[in-house]
Amino acid sequence: MTITPRQFEVQPSSGVPIYLQIVEQVNALVVGGHLQSGEMLPSVRQMAAELSVNHMTISKAYSRLEASGVVERVRGKGMMLKESPITGTLKNRQSQLQPLMEQAVIRARQLGLNDTQILAVLKTVLQEMQ
Amino acid sequence: MMTTPIIEIQNLTKRFDQKDVLNGVDLTIEQGQVVGLLGTNGSGKTTLIKCLLGLLKTTSGTCSIFGEDAWDLSAQAKSRLGYVSQEFAVLPWLTVQAATEYIGAFYEHWDHQLVSRLLAEWDLDIKQRVGVLSVGQRQKLAVILAMGHRPELLILDEPVASLDPLARRRFLQSLIDFTEDEKHTILFSTHITSDLERIASHVGMLREGEMGYWGEMDSLKNQVKRLRIHAKEFLPATMNIPGTIRCHVDGEHALVTVSEMDSETVNNISTRLEAKVSVEDLNLEEIFLELSGISSEYETAGASR
Repeated sequence: MTITPRQFEVQPSSGVPIYLQIVEQVNALVVGGHLQSGEMLPSVRQMAAELSVNHMTISKAYSRLEASGVVERVRGKGMMLKESPITGTLKNRQSQLQPLMEQAVIRARQLGLNDTQILAVLKTVLQEMQ
Repeated sequence: MMTTPIIEIQNLTKRFDQKDVLNGVDLTIEQGQVVGLLGTNGSGKTTLIKCLLGLLKTTSGTCSIFGEDAWDLSAQAKSRLGYVSQEFAVLPWLTVQAATEYIGAFYEHWDHQLVSRLLAEWDLDIKQRVGVLSVGQRQKLAVILAMGHRPELLILDEPVASLDPLARRRFLQSLIDFTEDEKHTILFSTHITSDLERIASHVGMLREGEMGYWGEMDSLKNQVKRLRIHAKEFLPATMNIPGTIRCHVDGEHALVTVSEMDSETVNNISTRLEAKVSVEDLNLEEIFLELSGISSEYETAGASR
């Protein structure tokens, strides 16, 4: 399965810069398993034409994805999804996750959910993203 | 390597009958930038463009294009730029076809293929006379005629005001194609912020003859944010938040628009005021209204009612 520009949707009139919207959507596609390593992102040209946005915006999004190690530039071919890099000790990786979890738990407490109820939500999310 | 900016305006002032329409405007546009010039009616957009093209003489300050003084542009420099004015006039008895040939004859390198393609894409009947075209159709023709010689710099004064949504989308698509190689530069004035959001890399906002904001579109959206503050106790009327554009306090709630958002600011506020602070994104239209002071005027008017 190849990814097409149509799978992206940008909202120019949102407060989030368009390049960030694209970065977030690529990340979401990767996390959701819709994009696998070795697959190519659409060319800058295709994306710009299909989404009716400036080429520089797409280039900027792709450069950000490259800098954060999500994709790599393959000469003459374009942007290829990289193998998701698993680096660092288990403890280190867990501590990276902790602040994100803390935020979720704070919100959950605000919503008046107890521990069991919070874990139930987490379980659902884990199943959906298997 | 230092390259000459495509457009350089320094301390431009233009006065009509004792009234300063432009008051010390600076603007530097580099190759490949797509610049949207925003401003309310009468903020000086058209005057700026006309001074820049040497169609109006500046009262003081300088304008240059391709490094040449705007008032004294060489024919060679003129052949490298395209311009669409608000008042477009082509001999009304000519057909669309004849008008393109007439204008094309002035240029050494006229791209007949591009012009024919655009005429077809934009649904213009080449046999129709220019005089009977609708305002929107005439605007389309003006843009095509300005692009026919593939200029390095395209300057458009309110190009889409009379175009319907479909035509505007086609127009934007053409501009996107135009800038694909990142060597072509565009300056266009508009008050339709949604068009600008799609294609502009940079935004300039004119406010009462001065450049109220100039910078990258993305930085603008990243920096200008609205903070929604909820405290346990009544908030002070002035909260001394850096970069405040507008501040509206209502008991223990406050809405503050800031021009330089960073996470530290938010942390500081929340500790200092013992308040919960949420950050809201603003789109270009909202930012424009905030920066041009229209939002606060509206609010004051609303409050005094």
